[in-house]
Amino acid sequence: MTEFALIILGGLKFGSIYALAALGLVVIHKATRTVNFAHGAFVLLGAFGAFYIQVDKSWPAWVAYLIVPIVVGIFSSAIEVVILRPLRRADLFTVVIATVFLGVVISEGFRLTYKAEILAVPSTFTGAPFFIGPVILTQDALWTICGAIVVSAACIAIFRYAKAARGMRAMAANYRGAQLCGFSVDKTYALAWFFGGAIAGIAGVFAAPAKGVSPELSIIVIASAFVAAVIGGFDSLKGAIYGGLLLGLIETLAAAYGSSALKSAISFLVLFAVMLFRPEGLFPEAKKRHV
Amino acid sequence: MKLKFLKTLLASSALLIAGVASPAFAQQGVTAQEITIGALGPLTGSTAFIGAPSRDGMQMAVDTINKRGGINGRKLKLVFEHAFSPAESVAAAKKLVEQDKVFALVLASGSTGAAAAADYVRSVGVPTYNLFGSTPVIREPFAANVFHGAVASTEVTAGALVAQLARAGEKKPQRVGVLVGSYAYPQANLAVLKPQLEKQGVALTLETFDQNAKDFTAQLVNLSRNKVDAVVVLGSFTEAGFAIKQAPQVGLMNVRWVLDGSAVNNAIIPIIGNADGIRGYYNAPYYPGQNAKPMEDFEALWKTTYGTPPQGRPNLFDIVGYGSTFVLAQAIQAAGNDLTWKGLIGKWDTLKGAAPSKMGGFDVIYPETFTPKDHQGNKLLGATEVVKNKWVVVK
Repeated sequence: MTEFALIILGGLKFGSIYALAALGLVVIHKATRTVNFAHGAFVLLGAFGAFYIQVDKSWPAWVAYLIVPIVVGIFSSAIEVVILRPLRRADLFTVVIATVFLGVVISEGFRLTYKAEILAVPSTFTGAPFFIGPVILTQDALWTICGAIVVSAACIAIFRYAKAARGMRAMAANYRGAQLCGFSVDKTYALAWFFGGAIAGIAGVFAAPAKGVSPELSIIVIASAFVAAVIGGFDSLKGAIYGGLLLGLIETLAAAYGSSALKSAISFLVLFAVMLFRPEGLFPEAKKRHV
Repeated sequence: MKLKFLKTLLASSALLIAGVASPAFAQQGVTAQEITIGALGPLTGSTAFIGAPSRDGMQMAVDTINKRGGINGRKLKLVFEHAFSPAESVAAAKKLVEQDKVFALVLASGSTGAAAAADYVRSVGVPTYNLFGSTPVIREPFAANVFHGAVASTEVTAGALVAQLARAGEKKPQRVGVLVGSYAYPQANLAVLKPQLEKQGVALTLETFDQNAKDFTAQLVNLSRNKVDAVVVLGSFTEAGFAIKQAPQVGLMNVRWVLDGSAVNNAIIPIIGNADGIRGYYNAPYYPGQNAKPMEDFEALWKTTYGTPPQGRPNLFDIVGYGSTFVLAQAIQAAGNDLTWKGLIGKWDTLKGAAPSKMGGFDVIYPETFTPKDHQGNKLLGATEVVKNKWVVVK
C-alpha cells in the first residue's frame, strides 16, 4: 500500500506538470483555433528563465514564478503578432508548419547558445520531507503537485470570469458571433497567445527542477501536453488538468507494474484509444442548450 | 646513344633515391609543412557532451604543439567531423580518410560511434586512436592499427565499479541495485559487470530505464522494495542525477550510489543538490576544479581559449581530448621522417610513458604506454567521490 501511494505521488508530480503544459495548449486552441506546436519551446523558455533567475542571477525562486510567465507571455504574444498574424488567412497546414518550425528554431537556438548538455535548476523547496504514516512526501513534490494544480485552477478562473478574458470566451463560444459583437480579433488573439504563453512559462518554471533545461524538454513537453489535452478533450480547460494528471499516473503505474519501455508506449496507446472510441475526450466541457 | 642511356639511368636513379629518402610525402595527410589528423564525434544531439568538448580539448593541444614549432618542423592540423549516429560515424570516418586524406584518425565518440567505425578503420588500416569507446567491438579482435587511450576496457571499468561498492575496511553491501540504461553503452557495461557482481555473492536487482529518462519513480520503488544497500548507475550524468534526486521521494535513503565513469561529471551536482558521498571512477588523475597544478593550469588555458565555461565544462572529454592529442603527437614525433602509416604504427607500438608535459602540455591524463601486442595505453582509473559538493579523485 505504501509502495502504491509512493507511485501515485510520483505520477501526480509529473502529471501536474503535464496538466499545466496542456492547459496552455488548450487555452490558445480554444480562443484562436490554432494548435500551437511551438508550445513545448515556450515551456523550454520558461524553464530557461527559471535557470537564469535562480542559478545565473542567484535570485530567489519566487522571482522566477512571478517574472517568467509574464516574459514568456509577451514573447508568445509577439510571435502571434509578427509571425502568425500574417498567416491568419493561410490554410491550416501552413499555420501548423509555422508553429512546428518555430518550436524547432527556439529549441535549436537554445542548443547553439548553451553548449551544456543540460542546465540544472535547484528544487524550490529542499527541506526535510513530511511523513504521512510510512509514506514520504518531499517538500519539492508537494510544491510541484499543489502549486501546479492551484495555478491551473487560477488560470481557469481567469479564463472563465476575468473581464479581460471576455473576448477569448466569446471567440471560444462563437468565433463569427464574437466578431459581430465587436470583439477585436487582433486583440483577442494577442491576449490568448499571451495567456497561453504565460501558462507555458510557469509550466517551465515548475518543470525545470524535475526535468532540467535542455532542448529535448520542448519535445518531451509537447508530446505529453498534446496527449493530455486529447485525453481531456481538446477544448476543455478542466479536461486538460484531469488529462495531465491521468497521463502522469498511467505512465508511472505502467512503468512500476509493467516495464520502463511500456511507460512511453502506454501514453500513445491511450491517445489512440481516446481518439478512436471517445474523440471528444474523457472530460469534455458540458454544453448547455437553451431551446 | 650510350650517353643518352646513361642520362636516363641517372635520372631514374635520382627519382628512385628521392622517393626512398622522403617517403613522408607519399603518405596522405603529410606535406612538408603540415600533418593533418582527423577526428569524429557528436557535436549535437544527446551525446554532444562527448564530441564538442573533445574537439575543444584537441584543438587546445594542437595550438600548444604548433606554438612550440609543431612536430619535427611540421604544423599539426585538426579536421573534426560531426558524427552522432552509427551511420554518420561510418560516413565521417570514410570522408576523413578518403576525402580529407588525414594521416591519422581519432575516434572521439562514445562506444556507439566507435563500434560503427570499427570495421572500416580495420579494413583501410589508417592509424586510429579510440579515445572513449569501451565496447569490445572496437577492441576485439586486436587490430594492429587501432590504439586505445584514457578510457579502459569494460572489464577494467566494471572492476572499478565493484571496488567502489566497498572500499578497503568498509562493509560489503549485501543487496545491490543496478539502474541501467536500455541503450547500447550501458548494456555493454552491464554484460561485463553483472557476472562480476554475481561473483561477489550479492543479491542483484536490475532496473532498466530509457535514454534521457527523467522520471525514475517506478525503478526506484522497486529498488526500495528490495531494500538495496547500494545502487550502481550505468548511464549518463543526467539520468543518474535525476534518479538520485528522486530517490528520497520513494524512501530510498541511506544507500551508497556508485556511478559509471560517464556519469562522473560536475553537472550532476546541481541536479542533485547535495551530492556528497556519491562515488565513481574517473579516467584521469584529477577532476576539473581539483586543487592540483596540472588541472589548474589546464583550466586556466581553457578559459583563456574559450572564455567562461558553461555549466559542466571543461569535463572529462575536454581533458582526454587534450591529453590524448599529445600522446598521438608523440607517436608522430617518434616516427621522425618515416611518416607512413606503417612507420607511425611501428613507433606507436613502442611508445612508453607518453604524457602531455613531454610536448609542453599539462599532465591531466595518466601516462600511456603501448606494446606491439597491447594497444591499451592507459590502465589506471582514479577512485572519485563527491566531497563538499565537488568531485575529487581520492586515490
